[in-house]
This record gives sequence, structure tokens and C-alpha cells, in this order.
Amino acid sequence: MSNLSELHLDALAEIFSIGAGRAALSLSEIVGDEVHISVPSVQVINVEDINATTLSLNSGRFGAVSQYFSGPFNAEAVLLFTEEQALKIVSDMMGSQMSLEELAEFEHEAMCELGNIILNACLSAMADILHFTLESSLPNYRVASADEILHRLKENSNQPYVMVLHIDLAIEKRHTTGNLVFLLSSTSLTNLVIHINQFLGSIS
Amino acid sequence: MNTLSAKRFDMEDIFNSLNLGVCVVDADSKVLLWNNWIAKHSDIKETDALNRQFENVFSESVSPAFLTALKNTLTHRLPVVLSTALHRTPLPLYNGCEANQQQTRMYQSITITPIQSQLNESCCLIQITDSSTSIKREKMLRSHSEILKKEATTDSLTDICNRRFFDAHYEMAVAEAKRQKHPLSIFMVDIDFFKSYNDYYGHIAGDNAIKQVASALKSQLSRATDIVARYGGEEFVLVMPHLPQKVAEQFAEKLRSAVFNLAMPHIKSRPFNQITISVGLCTGIPENDDNLLNKADAALYQAKLKGRNRCICLPLCETEEYLEQ
Amino acid sequence: MPVDSSIKKLLIVDDSKVSRMLIRTHILVQRPDWVIFEAVCGEDAIELADNERPDYCTMDINMPGISGTDAAERILSKYPLMKMVIFSANIQETHKNRARSFGSILVAKPVTEKSIALTLDYFTNSK
Repeated sequence: MSNLSELHLDALAEIFSIGAGRAALSLSEIVGDEVHISVPSVQVINVEDINATTLSLNSGRFGAVSQYFSGPFNAEAVLLFTEEQALKIVSDMMGSQMSLEELAEFEHEAMCELGNIILNACLSAMADILHFTLESSLPNYRVASADEILHRLKENSNQPYVMVLHIDLAIEKRHTTGNLVFLLSSTSLTNLVIHINQFLGSIS
Repeated sequence: MNTLSAKRFDMEDIFNSLNLGVCVVDADSKVLLWNNWIAKHSDIKETDALNRQFENVFSESVSPAFLTALKNTLTHRLPVVLSTALHRTPLPLYNGCEANQQQTRMYQSITITPIQSQLNESCCLIQITDSSTSIKREKMLRSHSEILKKEATTDSLTDICNRRFFDAHYEMAVAEAKRQKHPLSIFMVDIDFFKSYNDYYGHIAGDNAIKQVASALKSQLSRATDIVARYGGEEFVLVMPHLPQKVAEQFAEKLRSAVFNLAMPHIKSRPFNQITISVGLCTGIPENDDNLLNKADAALYQAKLKGRNRCICLPLCETEEYLEQ
Repeated sequence: MPVDSSIKKLLIVDDSKVSRMLIRTHILVQRPDWVIFEAVCGEDAIELADNERPDYCTMDINMPGISGTDAAERILSKYPLMKMVIFSANIQETHKNRARSFGSILVAKPVTEKSIALTLDYFTNSK
């Protein structure tokens, strides 16, 4: 099991809520409207314990934006929305009345950008607060079924831990929820805990 | 050492032949590299760009979102993408810079990546591609289908959905509710004593009243799944999935008071002396041949009989009550 | 004019323990004699404001229960002389304006020496 205490999770929750706030600020500048993002919960679980319910992957197809991060810890970060929600977000952000087929043309690019903003904001908040630097790949977007996503999470045995953040995103009046999933190796998780301990040590 | 001179090509030749914009800026966002592609599309020579701050190179302004993205990449050292979908033309770059061609601002997709110089300075690589062609295709598609679809599905007076759209939507919504076994609510709305209003205030005022009621009803909707349509004359219909009975009833009341609060005088309507609506609601999980629309219409009829300016809700399934009677 | 030498009271409102620890630590480095109270939600904050009458308050926005902005507005309408700083990572114009509208300011999270310096400056130097 993961060796994270309540206080570790609280620190992570605070870090990600700051990241979410920064992402909301960037998005509001792009859409010219109020954007609200919050991270109501952070969990760290063993990949074996992950199932469709943990990720609320109940049905349908999902849009997944992923970036690989490296530094003191390495992680694949994946932001998941249902495909339907992804299209609605894109249409809200573009602010135009387009049919779903037409939107789909932009879905790829716009979702890459949205994911990039949220992922970078969360990771940069973490890097700022825990005092380290991270590098990252460019974002990649794919649409996959819940089964495909779970399969991919589980097949990767050298990353036995997942950190799951639930994301609440509201653009104008529309509320959307998604998940941000970090796949971590044991070493990466240990390194993350070391950094959080250093940070907590500096303030307690 | 990986020197380029040892290779067969000059790196600069390659940069300058690329069919995309390549620019490198340093930590103070001063331009260190400016390839032919950008020079051509910005009409700014390399010599005029080098060593100047990126945003000051152009005579026109660079979009704030681009500058934020550049700043973020320089501070956090994480790569950033700017999509055409959300930004269109962040940089003042043009297609058709040749003489006698009309200049149009180019649609762009931009990637900003952190890189390190050989002197270990933090720099950023900016890559720009022309996405005009994909946008053009999208625009053509959109202008065609959007206009057609909008005309075909919008009521020209009120700008809400028309009867044709409602008919198609209603059928789908019922089928979906049956399949998913979730409740569906139909609200039939009618303006009270509208004929007398028209007769007394005239048709132009009548049209205006219809418009105002339509927009009051529309303003109550916030979910993408909900629609309001003009059903005919002074009659409207709303379709809303997933509402519990209680919430649906409260919503009907919200509709009624939204119109009441418009406080539009109507002296031929007693006893209210203002424009009011009656609302008939039917809500439930449709099965087999259940007809929500007929039930909502029957509820509306009852609301009229009971004195207007009110909401009546009928259950979808009344069999048990009939048995009791 | 009386010299203000009394010990000041600060109320820290944040649902995150780590965030409260951060603010407390940073503040105590600068103002070791301040008395600090902590509340984990807006409701508790309103109660503590009544009971302890703090001179200053730092308020988080996203908390379970009523939002920090609502709590701040209620507290300030009751105690208009209290100096309140709202901590948020989300510094959109609408939020700034709302904070200003009820006599408070928004300071960007994360809590750092810099943001604490801004906060202390507002507490002690604004009129």
C-alpha cells in the first residue's frame, strides 16, 4: 500500500487546488468568461484496486489527454473526460453553435490545449511548492473506451501506483467533471513522499 | 561533440527551408532565431527581428494568450500548445504577402517548447503551422449546414426552436428516456387570453408579447439537454430530462412566475390585468405507448379551467387512480 | 493618539491543514507575538469572529459548506474594521472585484514569503 498520511494527502490537495486555480485563470483569459476549477479529492491507490467506479468510468467513450513528466519523479498524467463532455467543453470554449460532427474536427486540438493547461498548471504548482523542476512531453489526445483505458492502466506493471484527482470544471453555467490520473512507479511515489516531507518539515 | 559543421548540411539552410515557422527566444523573450517562413509571413526580415523582444518585433499586437503561454513556458519550463480552435490568429502573420494579393491573417497552431542553449541558457522554441486550410474546410461546412440547420429548426419570430425541431427532438427524447429508464418532463405553456390581447393591443404588440414570453421561458433553462420550442401560435413546449417530480413541479412554477414578473399590462385579462401563462406538466418514465405530450396538454386544459395563471401537473400513469375511483 | 501596542489577533480560515500551517508559520516569523486562531470552514470562521473578535483574517475560497467569499462578506458586514485578505490561486477579475466590493483584497496563492508580505502590508498599512 502507499505510505501516504492524511497530512501528505492534504498537502497534495492544497497543491492541486492551487494548480486548478491557475488553470482556471488561464482558461478564463481564453474563453473571456468566468471559469471555475476545483479538485474535490485526491486519492493514491494501488493500480490493482482501480476499477471503473474509482474513475467513474461507467460507460461510453472517453477523451484522454496525456503528458509524460520527468524529474525527481516520473509520471504519466492522463486527464479523462467522457467524449460527450469533451465535446461540450470544446463547444463552450469556442462559443459557437456547431454540430457535433463539426466540433469533432476541433476536438483533438482543443482538448490537447485544455488538457495541457490543466496538466501544466497542476504540475507547475507542485514544482513551485515542493521546489523541484519537471520536464514534460507535449500533450497527446486519444479517444478510448473505459475498458481500453483500464486495460492500459493495468498492463503497465512498473507503475503500480495511481494518484487520482477528481476535477470539477465549470465554464459559464455548465458543470463538467473529469479525472486526472497520474501513473507512478514505486520509486517515483517514494521520491514524491520525500519531497512532501521536506516541504512539511519546513513549515511545522 | 555533436557539431553540425561535421554534417553534410547547414542547419540554417534546413530551418530556412522548413514549411513552418521556427523561432527561438531567450529567457528575456529576445529573438535568437527567425526562419524564412516567419520572415515571409510576417514581412519582417531576420535582421530586423534578431535581439529584439518577441512582442516588440511586430508592428501589430500579439495576443495576450500567446504572451501568457510564452511567459508560462519560460517560467515553468513546460511545453505549451495553442490550438487554432481556441485562438485562431494569435500572431500577426499573413497569407499572400506577395504584391497584388489580398492579405488575410493566417490561422495558426502554435507549440512552445523549453530548450536549452549550448551556453546553458533557458530558451524557448516557438513552432507555428498554418492551419488555414483545415479552418476553411470547417468554415465552409459550418456556414452551409449551420445556416440551413438554423433556418430549418428555429422559429423566426422568437428565435427559439420551431415545431419541426420539437417534433424530431421529442421523439428522440422519449426514446432515450424509455431506453435509459429516466424521467422526462414535458411542459405545455399557453399565454392566457392571448386572442383578446391581440384584438385590443394589435398584432405587432401581440408578436412582441410572444417574443418576450419566449425569452422569459428560455432564460430559465441552463442545461444543454433542455429545449424550449414554439409549439404554435401562443403555445410553447419545454422538454427536460432527468427531473424528479418535485423539481419539475417547482420548475413549472418558476416558468409561471418568470412570465408574471415581466409585468406586461393586459387589461383584457381578468383578474390579473397583465400577461400570464398557464402551464400543463407531465413528468415520468415513459413506457410503451405512454403519451407525455397528450397528458401535458390535458394538464394545460385543466389549468385553464381552474382559472389560468397556474400550473397543473398530471402523473404519467393514472391507472391506479382510475381503479380506485 | 494612542500608540497601538496591544497584541493582535489573527484568524486563519482554510480547510487545508497544510495551508493553515503554512500561513501560521510565515506570519509568526514576522509577528511572533500575534495570537492565532484557526477555522476549517466558513461557518466556524463566523462563530470564531464573534467569540474572539480578531483584528485580522485570512480566508480561503473553496471550502466545504459556505464559500470563503460569502463568509468573508458576512464577517465584514458585522465587523467592518477587521482587515481581511482572501487567499486564492484563482485571481480572475470577477473574484477581485467581488473581494473589493466588500472591503477586502485578493492575494494569490501559494502562500509564500511574498504573499505573506503583501498580506501583512495590507493588515498594518492600509487605512
